[in-house]
Amino acid sequence: MKKILILIPFLYILTLSQTSFLIHFNVFLKGGFWGWALNLILIAVILITVLEKPEKNSGIFLGVCGGFFLDIFSENFIGFHILIFLGLSLFIKFILRKYVR
Amino acid sequence: MRYNKIMKLSPRVKIGLIIVLLIALFIIVNLTSFSKEIKNFFYLISSPIQKTLWRAGDNLSDFFEAISEIEKLKKGAEELLLKNQALTAENARLKELKKENEVLREALEIGLEKEFKLLLAEVTGKDIFQDALLINKGSKDGILKDFPVITQQKALIGRCGEVYENFSKVILISNKESSFDAKISDSDIQGLVKGEGNLKIFLDLVPKEKEINEGAIIVTTALGGIFPEGLLVGEIKKVLKSDIQPWQEAEIKPAFDVKEMETLFIITDY
Repeated sequence: MKKILILIPFLYILTLSQTSFLIHFNVFLKGGFWGWALNLILIAVILITVLEKPEKNSGIFLGVCGGFFLDIFSENFIGFHILIFLGLSLFIKFILRKYVR
Repeated sequence: MRYNKIMKLSPRVKIGLIIVLLIALFIIVNLTSFSKEIKNFFYLISSPIQKTLWRAGDNLSDFFEAISEIEKLKKGAEELLLKNQALTAENARLKELKKENEVLREALEIGLEKEFKLLLAEVTGKDIFQDALLINKGSKDGILKDFPVITQQKALIGRCGEVYENFSKVILISNKESSFDAKISDSDIQGLVKGEGNLKIFLDLVPKEKEINEGAIIVTTALGGIFPEGLLVGEIKKVLKSDIQPWQEAEIKPAFDVKEMETLFIITDY
């Protein structure tokens, strides 16, 4: 719970950085691989989900939070990134629980 | 009872149920104005941080962009410099052509080409102290010694002296070696025009009894055969009479300005 309370503001700041600060570098790196792939929320959600214990579900919850923040600051409808990140974190959890540990 | 039933469901069904509920929630949120209110709330609380981050990102990306663009800018500047030089050269050439065109047009208006066979030449050197000019036409262009040289206004400049293959020296009428017959326009007063050096010309050997007025126009005569008739020499500036001499003399103001002279005509046939 403590980890989630710390990571939610972290994801919020990360989203703001993504949409206000790094967007300039995305434009700068336009057309390149990094210009498209520099999605910090996605990287953070994957890392959190992979690195936490397989039986814990905070990665899934943070995926929903990260997706929500991205939806707020993007042009997409609310739920677009939430569903993607939720699906992604569930898929990672499924793989980890079934095949890795 | 119902709660217990839900709790007994398998995790997969639970997850599926949650996802379906979430989708339903998203549909409701997006179809109503509630999504706008949520977004507006977050924009409101985030705007100070967003502004700061945006400015920082803008400055930093400009900085990196400038670094990466330096090489491109350098190359662009070099290309522009070369293009500029080429255009300047072309501009200068066009200006020369324009000037030449204007001179020819003026000459055509006077009808010089009907009276004489002319050759356009450019002044490449001036020796004012020796009252001589160097022009860019020589024996290769058919120039011979003693060919008369005039301006587009039909004003006499001098005659060709030394003729080289590509260049010729023009001896101005103010040169000490220059002397020829001339008369005052619209009168029968004739005299000898002599060069005195330093761009000074005098009308000499005019009988004392003849009245010369200041401002009278001097033109060449066919006498002596050096120059064709009717070329403008200049105008009387000052009449010099002396009791001792049997002739009167007058200083002539030349019809040309040697300092301004850039193009002139050589009369090859008259």
